[in-house]
Amino acid sequence: MVRRRVAITGLGLVSPYGGDLADFFTRLCAGESAIRHLLTDDQPRPLSIPFVACPAFDADAALGKPLAAMMDRFAQLGMAAAFDAWDAAGLARAASDESRDDWGVSWGTALGGTLAYEKGYRELWQRGRERLSPLSVLLGMNNAANAHISIQLGLGGVSTSHTVACASSAVAIGEAFRRVRSGEATIMVTGGSDVPQAYGVARAWEALRVMAPGDAETSPAACRPFASDRRGLVLGEGGAALVLEDRDHALARGATIHGEIVGYGASCDHSHLVRPEAAGQIRALQAALADAGLAADDIDYINAHGTATAEGDPVEIAALKSVFGERAKTLPVSATKSMHGHLLGAAGAIEAIASVLALRDDILPPTVNLADNLDSACSGVDHLTVARQGAAPRAALSNSFAFGGSNAVLVFRAVRQ
Amino acid sequence: MNSIALIREFLDERLGVASEKVVSDALLVDLGVDSLMMLELMFAFEDRFGIKIPNELENPNSVGDMVAAMDGLITTANAS
Repeated sequence: MVRRRVAITGLGLVSPYGGDLADFFTRLCAGESAIRHLLTDDQPRPLSIPFVACPAFDADAALGKPLAAMMDRFAQLGMAAAFDAWDAAGLARAASDESRDDWGVSWGTALGGTLAYEKGYRELWQRGRERLSPLSVLLGMNNAANAHISIQLGLGGVSTSHTVACASSAVAIGEAFRRVRSGEATIMVTGGSDVPQAYGVARAWEALRVMAPGDAETSPAACRPFASDRRGLVLGEGGAALVLEDRDHALARGATIHGEIVGYGASCDHSHLVRPEAAGQIRALQAALADAGLAADDIDYINAHGTATAEGDPVEIAALKSVFGERAKTLPVSATKSMHGHLLGAAGAIEAIASVLALRDDILPPTVNLADNLDSACSGVDHLTVARQGAAPRAALSNSFAFGGSNAVLVFRAVRQ
Repeated sequence: MNSIALIREFLDERLGVASEKVVSDALLVDLGVDSLMMLELMFAFEDRFGIKIPNELENPNSVGDMVAAMDGLITTANAS
C-alpha cells in the first residue's frame, strides 16, 4: 500500500484581528481576545451577543469584484483563506505545465450558504418580494466554497464539502490528509469557513442556552473554557486553509514545510445528539494516535475542542485523562477558542493552524480567562494559562467534537528548521 | 431609466466594468457576462421594468443586441 508522508506547505486565513497569519498567532500567544460585542439592527429583536467577526475583510479587494459578487460570505472567506494559503505555499494560481488533475479540495462548513438563503427569506417575507435572483442557488449551496477554490486554482481532482457541525473542517482536513497519504492526490487544499451570524442561526443557538452572554465591556472575556465561571461558547465567522502536499513533491520543488500531518481519527458517540460522551472521544483519540503510529507520550500539546460549555469541557478532560493516564498531569492543553471564538465549520481549520504554528514556532498558545478559577471537574491536565515558549514540542493533537456526537482528532508533527 | 443605463449600472455594480466600455458593439462576453451573469442581468431588467422576459428570447451577443431586445420588450409592454 502506498503511504506517503504529508507535508503542510501552506497556511492561510482571514484573521479576526485584521492582520496576517503571523500577526494572528502572535496575538493568540499574547492572549489577546478577538471577541467583541455584536449588536445588529435585526427585526424584531436585534442580536446582542459576544461574537468574533472579521470587520477588516474586504471581499472586493481580496477577490476582485466579479468573483466576490458570485459568492456568499462563507465562500468569500473560504476563497480568501485558500488564496492566502496557496500563495504562501509558493504555488502559482494559474496552472502551468504540471498537471493538476489529481489535486483537489476538501472543505468544511457547518452552515454553508445559510446566510444567503436568509437574505432570500428576508426579501420574500419582510420586503414582500415575489422572486429571488437566479444566483441565489449558487450562493447558497454548501459546496460553493470548494467549487470556487477548484475553479480559481485549476484543480482537477476531487472537490468536496464536509458538513459535520463543529467538526466539519477537522473531518475535511482528515479526509484530505488520507487522500494525499494514499497517493490519490498530490496536493489538497483543505480547511473551512462559516458565517454563523445569520439571524435565525444565532437565535437558534441562543435558544440552546449554550451561548455566553456579554456586552460591549464584558464580551472580550466572555469565553472561559475549563473555568468554574464559564458561561458558554462564543460564535465567530472566519475562514482558514491549509495546503497539504505529498512531501516528496514539496521537497522536489523546494517548498517550505511548516509541519507534517501524521494522523486522523474519527468516531461517533452514538448515544446523544448534544450530550458528549468520553467513550466516543477516547475512541477518536486512540484511533488518531494509532493512525499516526505515535504513543501518548509522544504528544506535547493538545489544542482542545474546549468550547466553554458546562457539559463539554469536563467530558473532554475526562477523555484526555483516560487516554493519557499518568502523562495527563503534565500534558499541555489549551483552548484557543477563548480568543478566536467558535468558528463552527471553520473551527477545526483555525485550530489546526494554531497547532501547526505552535509546533513550528515552539510556542504553545494559552487558554485565556483561566487562572485561579479552574473548575475542579476540568483539572488533571497541564492547563496553559499563558503561552509557553521553548518546550520543543514534538507532536500535537487538535480535537473537534461535534453536535451529533461526531468526533475528529488530527495529529501534527513538528518540522523545525 | 432606459435600457443602456440599466446595463451600465449592472455591469458597474456587479463586475466593476467602466461605463465607457459599455458601448453598442461591445460583446457581452468580453465584458465578463457569462451565462450566469446573463440570467442576473435579465432578472435585474425584469425587476426594474416589471416586464417578464419570454423564455424563448435568444441570448444577445452584444450590448447593442441587449439594448434592442430590452427596448423591444419595453415598447411591447407599453403598447399593451
